[in-house]
Amino acid sequence: MRIQILLAWRYLLGRKQRMALTTLAVVFGVTLLFGMNAMIPAMMEAFRHNMVTAAGKVDISISGDSNNPFDEASLDALKDIGGISHSTGLLQKNVLLPESLGGTTDPIAGASAVTVTGLDIPTAQSVRNFQIKEGRFLEAADGSETVISQLLADKMSLTVGDTLSIPSSDGIEKLTVVGILSLSASAGLDEIFVPLATSQRILNLPDKINTIDILIRSDADRLTVENEILSKLGPNFKSGPVEVGNELASALIMGESMMWLFGIMALAMASFIIFNTFRTVIAERRRDLGMLRAIGASKRTVMGLILTESLIQGVVGTALGLMFGYLMCLGLLASFGPMLQSFMRVSVGGPVITTANLVGSILLGIGFTVGSGYFPARSAMKITPLEALRPSLGAAEFRKNKRRALWGLAMVAASVFGLVIGELNVAALSTLVFLAGLIMIAPVMVKPVADTFGKLISLVYAREGRLAQGNLARQPGRAAITASSMMIGLAICIAMIGMITSILNGFIGYLDKSLGTDYLLMPSSLVLGGGNLGANQGLIDRIRNTDGVEAATSLRLAASQTKGAALQMIGIDPEVYPQISGLAFSNGDPATAYPALANGRSIIVNGMFATSAAIKTGDVLTLKTPQGDQVYNVVGVAFDYLNAKIATGYISQANLATDFNASSDVLLLVNRKTNSNNSAVLSALKAIAKDFPAFSLIDSTEFKNEQINMFKQAMSTLYVLVVMLALPGLIAMANTMSINIIERTREIGMLRAVGTTQTQVKRMVFAESLLLSALGTTMGILVGLFLSYLLLKALIFIGFTVDFFFPATGILMSVAVGLTFGIIAAMVPARTAARTVIVEALRYE
Amino acid sequence: MTMIEVKDLSKVYGSGETKVIALDSVNLTIEQGQFVAVMGPSGCGKSTLLHLIGGLDRPTTGTVTVEGKDISKMSDTTLTELRRRKMGFIFQFYNLIPVLDAVENTALPLILDGVKPETARIKAKEWLTRNKLEDRGSHRPDELSGGQQQRVAISRAMVADPVIVLADEPTGNLDSRSGDEIASVLRKIVSDWGRTVLMVTHDPRIAAYADRIIFLKDGRIVDDALLSGDNGDNAKRLKEKVEAL
Repeated sequence: MRIQILLAWRYLLGRKQRMALTTLAVVFGVTLLFGMNAMIPAMMEAFRHNMVTAAGKVDISISGDSNNPFDEASLDALKDIGGISHSTGLLQKNVLLPESLGGTTDPIAGASAVTVTGLDIPTAQSVRNFQIKEGRFLEAADGSETVISQLLADKMSLTVGDTLSIPSSDGIEKLTVVGILSLSASAGLDEIFVPLATSQRILNLPDKINTIDILIRSDADRLTVENEILSKLGPNFKSGPVEVGNELASALIMGESMMWLFGIMALAMASFIIFNTFRTVIAERRRDLGMLRAIGASKRTVMGLILTESLIQGVVGTALGLMFGYLMCLGLLASFGPMLQSFMRVSVGGPVITTANLVGSILLGIGFTVGSGYFPARSAMKITPLEALRPSLGAAEFRKNKRRALWGLAMVAASVFGLVIGELNVAALSTLVFLAGLIMIAPVMVKPVADTFGKLISLVYAREGRLAQGNLARQPGRAAITASSMMIGLAICIAMIGMITSILNGFIGYLDKSLGTDYLLMPSSLVLGGGNLGANQGLIDRIRNTDGVEAATSLRLAASQTKGAALQMIGIDPEVYPQISGLAFSNGDPATAYPALANGRSIIVNGMFATSAAIKTGDVLTLKTPQGDQVYNVVGVAFDYLNAKIATGYISQANLATDFNASSDVLLLVNRKTNSNNSAVLSALKAIAKDFPAFSLIDSTEFKNEQINMFKQAMSTLYVLVVMLALPGLIAMANTMSINIIERTREIGMLRAVGTTQTQVKRMVFAESLLLSALGTTMGILVGLFLSYLLLKALIFIGFTVDFFFPATGILMSVAVGLTFGIIAAMVPARTAARTVIVEALRYE
Repeated sequence: MTMIEVKDLSKVYGSGETKVIALDSVNLTIEQGQFVAVMGPSGCGKSTLLHLIGGLDRPTTGTVTVEGKDISKMSDTTLTELRRRKMGFIFQFYNLIPVLDAVENTALPLILDGVKPETARIKAKEWLTRNKLEDRGSHRPDELSGGQQQRVAISRAMVADPVIVLADEPTGNLDSRSGDEIASVLRKIVSDWGRTVLMVTHDPRIAAYADRIIFLKDGRIVDDALLSGDNGDNAKRLKEKVEAL
C-alpha cells in the first residue's frame, strides 16, 4: 500500500494543475449536494419553530386523529375511566403576530407568533402546574384576561396590567395580562393562556377543543389507561399532541429530494470528468505502468495506484466541498432569508447539518470519485510489461467506432420511441438510453462536426484550423468523451432553462386564473396552514356589504389524512368561487366538478396529491375527519397557485364545516363592480382590513406582479444552479485541453522547431478547443431538448399542465456559453503550449 | 551452471495473411555469469527473444527455463514475482518514474517486494554509489543526463539482487561516450558481481563488451560466437558480420 500512496501522491503533486481541476469537479458536486441539503432542514427547522404546538408536561395527551378540533363533549366519555386522576380540555393554536400588533420575524428579538391556549379554568390546574411568577392565574369569571409566559413578557416588554392584542376571527382580541408564568412553567415558548371560551371565540371554534390533557392515578398503568381512553373515545382520536405543518413538511421533503437529485447530477458530471482524466492519465503513463509491471509490480498494485490517486482526490475534494457547501448554504440562507420573512413570516437560522446529509455527501463524494477511477484503473491493470519497452509512437486513435455508433443509433431510436409512449418511468429510462446512445455515437460525430466547424475556423485561421481539425480527428474517442462532459453540462442548462421558461409562462397563466380577482385579503403567511388565523363570517359579510363590491368568496382550511399521508383540506364555495376565481384543471371537467362539490361528499384533488397517491377522477377517498372516516368521490384533478406545492383537496365549505369543524375564512377573494371607483372601493376595504390585522389587503394586480417577481427571483436562483451544473463542463474542457497539451509537448516542440510561431500555436489550441466545444454544444442541444421535453412530461404527469416552450433562449445561451467555455478552457493550455521551450520539449518523455 | 535454457521457442504474431513469425524454433543455453549480446538486423526477433526470456511475453510454442524452472507456463502472479526477485530490466528509454528521485526510483523493486522503506533506501544508495551517482540521489530524472538516467536504471535493475539482467538496447538513446560507460557497467555486473547479462543491441562497439554474441536473422539463430581479445578488433569483426547479414 505504501508504494501506491507514495506514487499516487507524487503523481498528483507532479501535475498540480490537473489535480486542481479534477478535484474542483468533486468539490462542485459535494458543494451542491451538501450545501443545498443543509438549507432545506434549516428551513424546516424555521417552520417547525413557528408552528410548534406545545403539549404540557402531562401523563397522556389526546388529540384528534386528523389533527382537527373536536367537540368539547368528548370529555364526557372519560368520566368512567378508573385510571384517570384528572383531565382537562384545551384549545390550542399557533397564531402569527402581524407587525401592526407588535410581531416581528426575528425569534430572538421578539415574537413572530404566540401559542394561544384556551384552558378550562376549573380543571386545568389540577392537570398541569402553572407556576405564577407575577400577578395571578386565570379565574372562572375571567373573559378577556390572559396569563403569559415570561419569555413572551420579556420579548414584548409586557407586565401585569398591560394589554396584549392578538388577531382573532372577528378582528382583534385585546387581552389584559393578569399574570406571568415563571420560565420553567412554559418551557421557553411564546405562550398565552386564556379561558377556554375566549380561545373558542378567538379561533372561531365554538364548543370545540383540540387536546385533552390527562393525569393518571399513581397506581394505574399508563398504557392500559391510554388504551382504555382511546377505545372509549373511538377511532377518531390519537395519543399525542396536535401535529401541524405536516403538509408543508412533505413539500419540503420533496424539495430535499430535488436537492439530492441536483447534487447527484453534479457529482455524476464530476465522475465523468474524473473518468476522462484518469483515462487520459492511463494513456499518458502507459510506459511507467508497463515498467512497473516489468520490474515486478502486480496487477493489483497497478490498479491500487490509480484507485489511491482517485481516493486522495475524492477525500480532498469532498473535504473542500463540505466546507464550500456550508459557506454556500450560509450565503443562500442570507439571501433567501428576507424573502421568507416577508412572504411566509418565518425567520431562518443557520445551516442545519443532518447526519444523513453529512454521511451521504462524504460517501457519494468519495464513492463517485473512486468509482469513476475504477474502470480506468482496471484498464491500467491490463497494461502489459511490454508497453514499457515500446517506444512512444503518439499513436493515432483509429479505432473502429462504427459498430458502437450503430448500437448508439439504435439506442437513440429506442429512446425516442420510449418518450412518445407516454409512460413517465419509460420516458425517464429513455433519457438514460438516449444519453448512452449519444455518447456511443459521439466518436463518429467528431469528424463531421470537426470538418464542418473546422471550415468556419479555417476561414479565419486557415493553417491552425486545419491542424486543430486533424488533432481532434486522430483521437475521436477522447474528443468525444471531452465533448460529452460538456454536453451533459449544456444539456442540463437547456433542459432547465426550457423547463423554467415553460413553468414561468404556465404559472403566470395559473396565477391569472387562481387569483383572477381584483382584491385579495391575504393571511400573514402565504402557506395557508402556517399559523394563520381565519376570520369568522363577519369579515366576508362586511366586504360583501361594501359599496362597489360585486362578489366575494373565501378559502377555508382544515387538515386530514388519507392513504397514510397528510392532506390539506381547502373549503371553497362551489357556486361563487368559480365565478370570481377558479382552479386549473388537469383532469375532469370544471362544468361538472364544481356542482358536484355542492352535492354530497365530493372532492377535487391537486396534481401533487393525485400523483403521489395515484388518484384519478372517479376514485373514492376515505378521509380522516374529527367525526370519523368519511368517503369522498374524486370529481377532478386541479390546483390553485398557492397550494400547487402542497398535497391538497378542495371540498365545499359546507362539508368542511360539517366534517372538519372549520368555518373560518383564511383567504378572501373580492371583485369590484365594473363601473365602481377603484380607489373608493380600495379605501373602504382597507378600513375593514384594519380591523382584521391577521389579513393584508392586496390589489391583485400588484400581488400578481409581486408573485411573478418572486417567482422570477426564485427561478434566478435556479439559473445559478444551472450555471453551477454547467461549470464542471468547463472544468472538464480545461482539464482535457491541459492534458492534451502536456501529452503533445514534443509534438508542439517539433512544430515550433520547424517554424510555427507562438501565436500560431496559441491559435491552434484555441481552434481545437472551439471545435471540441462545438461538438459538445451540438450534442448538448440534442440531449437538452430531449431532457426538457421529458421534464415537462414529468410535470404534466404530476398534475401541472404546462405547455412545452421551445427553449430558444436556452439554446442561444448554450451556444454562447459553449463557445465562451471553449475559449476560456483553452486560455491556460494555449499559453503553456505557446511558451514551450523547444529544446526541452523535444527532450520531453 | 545453466542459467537460461530455451527449447524450440517460437513466437507468431497475427494469423492468415498478416501472420508474422518473429521467432522460429530457437534453441539456446546461457550459463551463469555469461555476458551475452544478441545482434541482428531490424525485425530479426532479438527483442522478442529478450521479452520471452524475461517473462514479459508468452511463447507460441517451446519453453523457456530459468534456473531450471519453466517460466512459459507460469501464472501471471508467479511470473511477476519471478521478475521482481530474479530479474533486472534495463530499457532503451530508461523508464524512470518522472515524479520520483533517483533513490526512490532505484528502491522501487524492493518497495514493491515489501522491504522496509529505510532498508530499501540504504540499498538503493549503495547501488547508486557503485554507479558513481552518490551525489545525485535526490535528483529527479529530468535533472539528470541520459547517461546518468541509464545508470539509475541499472542501479534499479541490480538493487533486488537478481540472477539475470536483461537489457534492451541500453545504449540506443545515448551518445558514444555515455554508451561506453553503460557497457562498462554491464561488463562489471558480470565480471565483478557475478550476474548473467543478456543484452540486445545493434551497435557492434557495445556488443564487443560481451563474452558471447548470438546472431539472429528472420527469427532463427544464424551464428553463435564466443569473443576474446581486444574490444576494438571484436567490434570491427562484429560490424562486418552484421553488414554481411
